[in-house]
Amino acid sequence: MKAVEALDPRVQACIRKRGFTVLSDAQKEAIPHILNGDHTLLIAPTGTGKTESAMFPVFNALLSLPAGGGFKALYITPLRSLNRDILSRMQWWCSELGLTVGVRHGDTPMAERRKQALHAPDLLITTPETVQALFMGKRLRQHLAGVRFVIIDEIHELAGSKRGAQLAVALERLHVYAGEFQRIGLSATVGNPDAIARFMCGNRPFSIVQVPVAKNLQIEVKYVGDDFRHQTEVLSRMLKREGSTLVFVNTRVTAEALGHALFAEGDVEVHHGSLSKEVRIDAEERFKRGDIHTLICTSSMELGIDIGRVDHVIQFGSPREVARLVQRVGRAGHQLNTVSRGTILATGFDDLLESLVIANKAKAGELEDVATEYNAADVLANQVAAIAVEYGEIERGKILGILSRTSLFGDAGPLLENVCRQMEEHRLIRLDGSRIITTARARRYLAGNLSMIHDERKVPIYDMVSRRTVGTLDESFVVGWVHTGVVFITKGQLWRVLEIADGRLTVEPARKAVGELPSWEGEQIPVPFPVAREAGRIRRTRRFADYTSDSANTAYAESFLSEMDKNRSLVPTDTLITLENIDDGVVCNVCAGHKANEALGRVLSVLISARYGTTVGLELDAYRFLLRLPFDIRAADVRDLLLSLDPAHMPGIIRLALKRTALFKWKLVQIAKKFGAIDPDADYEKISIQRLLEFFDNTIVQQEAYRELLTAYMDIGTAASIVQKIRDGEIQVSLGPHSLIGAGGLLSSRDQIPPPTADQAVLSTLKRRLDQDDVLLCCMNCRDWKSHTVVSRVPEHPQCPKCGARLIAALKPYEEESCAVVKKPRKNAEERAVEQRLLRNANIVLSSGKKAVIALSARGVGPENASRILSTLTEGDAFYREILKAERTFIQTHRYWT
Amino acid sequence: MNLEFIGEGPALVVTGEERHLVVADLHFGIEADLAVHGLHFRSRSRPRLERLLKIIDRTDPDSLVLLGDIKHSIPSLTRQEYYELPRILGTLRDRTSLHIFPGNHDIGIERYCSAVEICPKDGAIIDGVGYLHGHTYPSPYLGGHLIIAGHHHPLLSLNDEVGCSLQSPAYLRAGLNTGELGLLEPDEPDLPTRVLFMPSFNEIAGYDILQIVRNPTSPLSRHIRQDDAEVILADGTYIGPLKSVMDDESS
Repeated sequence: MKAVEALDPRVQACIRKRGFTVLSDAQKEAIPHILNGDHTLLIAPTGTGKTESAMFPVFNALLSLPAGGGFKALYITPLRSLNRDILSRMQWWCSELGLTVGVRHGDTPMAERRKQALHAPDLLITTPETVQALFMGKRLRQHLAGVRFVIIDEIHELAGSKRGAQLAVALERLHVYAGEFQRIGLSATVGNPDAIARFMCGNRPFSIVQVPVAKNLQIEVKYVGDDFRHQTEVLSRMLKREGSTLVFVNTRVTAEALGHALFAEGDVEVHHGSLSKEVRIDAEERFKRGDIHTLICTSSMELGIDIGRVDHVIQFGSPREVARLVQRVGRAGHQLNTVSRGTILATGFDDLLESLVIANKAKAGELEDVATEYNAADVLANQVAAIAVEYGEIERGKILGILSRTSLFGDAGPLLENVCRQMEEHRLIRLDGSRIITTARARRYLAGNLSMIHDERKVPIYDMVSRRTVGTLDESFVVGWVHTGVVFITKGQLWRVLEIADGRLTVEPARKAVGELPSWEGEQIPVPFPVAREAGRIRRTRRFADYTSDSANTAYAESFLSEMDKNRSLVPTDTLITLENIDDGVVCNVCAGHKANEALGRVLSVLISARYGTTVGLELDAYRFLLRLPFDIRAADVRDLLLSLDPAHMPGIIRLALKRTALFKWKLVQIAKKFGAIDPDADYEKISIQRLLEFFDNTIVQQEAYRELLTAYMDIGTAASIVQKIRDGEIQVSLGPHSLIGAGGLLSSRDQIPPPTADQAVLSTLKRRLDQDDVLLCCMNCRDWKSHTVVSRVPEHPQCPKCGARLIAALKPYEEESCAVVKKPRKNAEERAVEQRLLRNANIVLSSGKKAVIALSARGVGPENASRILSTLTEGDAFYREILKAERTFIQTHRYWT
Repeated sequence: MNLEFIGEGPALVVTGEERHLVVADLHFGIEADLAVHGLHFRSRSRPRLERLLKIIDRTDPDSLVLLGDIKHSIPSLTRQEYYELPRILGTLRDRTSLHIFPGNHDIGIERYCSAVEICPKDGAIIDGVGYLHGHTYPSPYLGGHLIIAGHHHPLLSLNDEVGCSLQSPAYLRAGLNTGELGLLEPDEPDLPTRVLFMPSFNEIAGYDILQIVRNPTSPLSRHIRQDDAEVILADGTYIGPLKSVMDDESS
């Protein structure tokens, strides 16, 4: 308790009264730094008294400040539920010490807000978004001048997001009123503490206090089979042996399924983001009181909401990331200095290897870095609008001054100018030389855009036939991608869009899959490259014993791979990529993690679609991707492309690949909203939003969409390094039959990569039309045979079944009269001309076969035009382009129009 | 008569005795209306006008036929239009003579035009071809001619095998049920009355062709003969019978 001896006696008294007899490591180490006035980043597992570490010294300082004079400390957390939790903990301390405390976030009633504006509490607990709102009121701004401390809880959650980037700017806006204040960050374990500290402090000096977590972790991996019933039985047996247990799952669907399966046990509750606040709070309370012993939860439970004692953490399925595992298991055994126990239940081959790698890395303390958002243009636009409203008008230099104090907007001068020009384009601000002036719209914009979280309107999908609503879609998707006639999948069924009106999508059931609506559920946690690669290495070395002492794990993994060997399947590893043909396309087994596979898959897709003129479907996970291809493009073609790839060209190719995809348009709409181009409640009917989005070509909005997709969604750098390794011979590429590994996995993320030019859609429409065209075949030799058919059914070299001749004329159905004419024994001059024409026609078919039939069935193409087209000797697309040219000429003539 | 398709318009050059450049639905001033609907963009009148001027310079027509909806706001002029319109029409007039067929959005446009330039709302024949904006019943005298109309903003969606699609401005050409429209029968019986719906020159106005056919809102679109309808892209690419576009969807 030495650390607290320097504190004010009143604070010490409270600490004793609250029953603290020993301090945790985190508290012991952090309190002196914070008392000393250092900007401090405290990294420690949840439940080690991080909040108290920060607040004891802060209380100490608050006691020495005179009463009144605005907010003195801001406590910022990423979640409202955390705010409530912190508030209930702070109320006791504050009332004992004679300090005032308040909470302010989206749910705070108007009356409470007014009270805070009149009498600011000493300590305000709030969210990053509400911090934004504080700058909008004149009175509140005065209160901000008193701030001496800012505490950011769960800072690792914010540092890697646009919310965090927005907060970083807000802290420097606060600096304008309050001058230097002390910054205290509370974080879970991360790979790059320095970057988090710089995110919080900018260029100011800081101290980092890190309480190691790895040595207190005890993690087991247990293979439980791939049958869900068996998995739940094992889980249920484990739960009976343990005390209070948190069961973490990766998706809401799994949470619901497990909850359903274990419901009969009686003491289980489910906790995830789709449940209402009341249901979640009730589950938390019951777990805390000990009414139930098991809580099945998603990442919603990772953050430090106090739920009392946790004896054991079970991770159902691979945790995907090391940091996530450490944080989840860290919730167990919160009593000081006890060990955190966790068990991963692995549910398949990939899952087992991945879990072993992650558990190993967790013990070694090899956590992932948090990637901060550097120079995010939409955050900047949002903050320029906020600053314009805050000041009315302001010199650009002054904004640069604010930005330069953050670590996230270094050298933002040119970016700022770009962003301001774009905002003026959308009339969000006015520019007058170097001055930025607010507009009437800006305040309204800000009210709807306090948050950088994309608050998506959900568009209901209404089925015309059954006359009911069948589901919802993200609005940005509907806007950027869906239009009349599009077919998509939801609820496992195909739907065609009939109309987009009155804020809903009217659909009818469709029969054929001509498209699939891509979907990105926010729940998909990407597996990082190093994890996937190491899992690939284990496949190669097969040294399972280095990772696990559980013989059941080893036995399963060995039997799986020996099954592969028995089938003579190649095992894809970190040094071997295998390509497998299946009916739907080609499976590429690449151990590179989600983001790199996404990048590599998209690059290959766009190259294929450009070369073969077809759309390519892409589905992927961390160890493989499936390219959905027409049947004539095979694994060998994909291999040739992969081998001929130049890594230096890949970043350019992927931009091209993204441009016309649903994902890109979806992102573009979201970012355009932050620039004020599109209101949250905009109405898109009757205009072509697709063409509206073209207005963003070569603007900062488009640039930001690329930047975000290429950092948050895919990793082109790693994909390029894999291709480089292929070139250097470090990674081999082989073809193989479809294997157990290739067939495994969840193919989760879906998208389609259309060919780079619109031309392809026109060509395939033309091909389809010509294929279905009616044609009349008529033998010009015996003149006794004719047959009505469609072009697609005509053989390569049509032949008369009666006389065996190949002198067949291919006529349009309305030319049937001509057949009768040529049969006449005696003909007049006009009839002889018809005969000549048909003979010419038949001669072309004789020499060029079906190709001639295709050309002759085109609009306005007679024997003359057909022989001109055929004389170009073009094949494939080029041949069809010649037909298009001939048709285009025809419809410009008088003959077509009269 | 010959027709030339200018893809970057979309625009048509109709050549008979003289050369006529035809464009429809410029919708100058649409930006103010977009803003009301929550889409905020600066006026794009200048690039739109420049696109038109470039086409005029390149095709060197004897006249420019404006098929209505030159301006956007109804029922009155916005500030934007008040300032922009006289200048726009003046610039066009400096290059070539104008035929203006007022559309439903063109209320009040007369004050910026001479009486010679304004043509009847229900259409007129120029050089053997009928023109009108297309929101009203056509004049009976257009019977037996090719009728070129705006107003409908047709847009075509195309799919390839895997399902990605392209949206592109397109023309819809169709026969008309002349009797129901009150059109005079043609003098020569084998000269059918046909309508050609032009895509909008405005970059963002657009309405799916299938919607136009299925939920017709104008007298002309209600009386087209679907079995005799064909679709052509803005650059003159022949897509095929309307039926084939519809089949694509349902097959």
